[in-house]
Amino acid sequence: MSAPNITPELQWSIEQFYYREARLLDNRQYQTWLGLCSEDISYSMPGRNNLLVDNRERGHESMIEVDRELEGIDSDGCPIRDENYIYLMLRVERSFKINAWAENPPARTRRIIGNVEILDIAGDEYSVVSNFHLHYSRPGARDFFYAGQRRDRLLEVDGDYRIRRREILMDMADVNVPTLGLFL
Amino acid sequence: MLDPYSLVNDDASLISRRCWSDASVYEAEKQRIFGRSWLFLGHESQIRKPGDFVQAYMCETPVILARSEDGQVHASINSCTHRGLPVCRASHGNTRRFVCPYHNWSYSVSGDLVAIPQEKQVAQCPDKSALGLKRVPRLESWRGLIFGSFNDSIEPLEDYLGDMRFYLDAFLLRFPAGIEFVGSPQRWVIDANWKLPVENQLGDVNHGPFLHAAIIPAEANQEIVDYGYSVVTQPGHGATFRLLPEDAPVESVGWGFESIPGQTGGAELQEYLREVHAQASDRVGPIRARMKGLTYGIYPNLSFLWSNAAFKVSHPRGPGKVEYWSWSVVPADAPAHLKKILRANHTSFFGPGGILEQEDSESWMQQLKGANIGFADDRPFYYGLGLGEEKPHADLPGLVSSTANEFYARAFFQRWRDDLAAEVRA
Ligand code: FES
Ligand SMILES: [Fe+2]
Repeated sequence: MSAPNITPELQWSIEQFYYREARLLDNRQYQTWLGLCSEDISYSMPGRNNLLVDNRERGHESMIEVDRELEGIDSDGCPIRDENYIYLMLRVERSFKINAWAENPPARTRRIIGNVEILDIAGDEYSVVSNFHLHYSRPGARDFFYAGQRRDRLLEVDGDYRIRRREILMDMADVNVPTLGLFL
Repeated sequence: MLDPYSLVNDDASLISRRCWSDASVYEAEKQRIFGRSWLFLGHESQIRKPGDFVQAYMCETPVILARSEDGQVHASINSCTHRGLPVCRASHGNTRRFVCPYHNWSYSVSGDLVAIPQEKQVAQCPDKSALGLKRVPRLESWRGLIFGSFNDSIEPLEDYLGDMRFYLDAFLLRFPAGIEFVGSPQRWVIDANWKLPVENQLGDVNHGPFLHAAIIPAEANQEIVDYGYSVVTQPGHGATFRLLPEDAPVESVGWGFESIPGQTGGAELQEYLREVHAQASDRVGPIRARMKGLTYGIYPNLSFLWSNAAFKVSHPRGPGKVEYWSWSVVPADAPAHLKKILRANHTSFFGPGGILEQEDSESWMQQLKGANIGFADDRPFYYGLGLGEEKPHADLPGLVSSTANEFYARAFFQRWRDDLAAEVRA
């Protein structure tokens, strides 16, 4: 099942956008990266619970669906991050101060973005999911592997895109990485 | 184990690196600190309905906190009496029975063993009433905060909290219906000793202007210099806060206004915060209405962060590992859509995604490296700042000082040392 109007050119241009974004982030060009975000952005990371499967839904895919594990921004639970443009600005500013000690000396990141899938088009807005693998390294031989999914809404602006909504699903069952405060 | 009096000197101005890194010290802490204190388990709002349960920990011991059909709260050790598996595998939920996966012995929410599937096939019939989950021997709750203790003969919880109730009430009674915990805690495994997050939240506002200079504005730090107090109600318990002048405008003294949600969350939220503050004097009295809290600590490992509305527990996982839990808290009477705005005050600043706490957690990990330098064992950590400068205060229970005085940490370590020594000498 694919939405109409998803041409190879559209797929290509959205993938190129993500590659550019990944390059900016791994190069620590966070100020430039912030320019890819729409000023009305919702940027969030749901909490993710370890729940027993839903016995009432036995035999149906809903029994073990991913979304029931999430405490997202629309839930009454508690997301890990629930941010707007102001928070992102604050994080970007922090990165360019000498006393952002957790990343001074700077950590290294390298990310691979894949499985880019355009799920829906509504006017000039695209619903896109993508996966990431990210390697994060802090001095002291501390290397960590992050995996997850991004659920985005991209706004088309003058032949380019702006991120208007990003929901980041982390795949770790328990948080054993030094930070989830990265730009993902 | 090492002699506690060789680890912490008399006035606790010198603290050995071994306190943070030695395996035998850690084993003694498990028995003599965590085995004897009241330990925080959860809040009543997490288990409102019969059958609701959450997992909790008392040090490394896994505990199920649950509400039974009759409304009673129960705390049971999460380990099957048959072969020891955890009978509860979910972080939270609602259930009638905990069924052990291995051989399906099943337990009621209150921890009683109700079924042994194999018993029909054997002649001997085990006495199920003696085979329930082991209970946490003491369980008490105060203002919705539930604590358990392994220590049968511990004093009542209210006495244990003592004058910290005065400071806790400044927050808990501020809201007409008290507070509630929002969703699941953030659970974060950090390579650090459990005591450093505790110390950080007990009174270490000294690090704010330096470690957090990238985020915390200079005016906020100046306000702490001008109006800040550090209080120790009894060793191990303490609070830091600002006591603003009587004519301070609501926007500077009212709870919530200093947060990003309070500043950018819209007119309706600000109206709500104004309303809360308008009632504050009636609810908590004129002194506490002017209190603008920072950090609180309850011995041994519970913290409350007023400014960012979070309860936190530092669960030890060995001398060099901690599972750090934190919950967002919101006023229980706030409309649901305002609660959603307020919860970000905690989540985006603290916990694993926190703008602020990423600096703290890195510091805690680096401190552990320092604590493991054997060659520097003769250079204990210096805890002497402000030695002897704390005094009683007319309006504030406990001993009171400026926030630069490290007496909160000295008092913690004196209690810690004496607790470790007590059984050795008994
Ligand atoms: S171990 Fe629990 S039923 Fe056997
Ligand atoms: Fe801090």
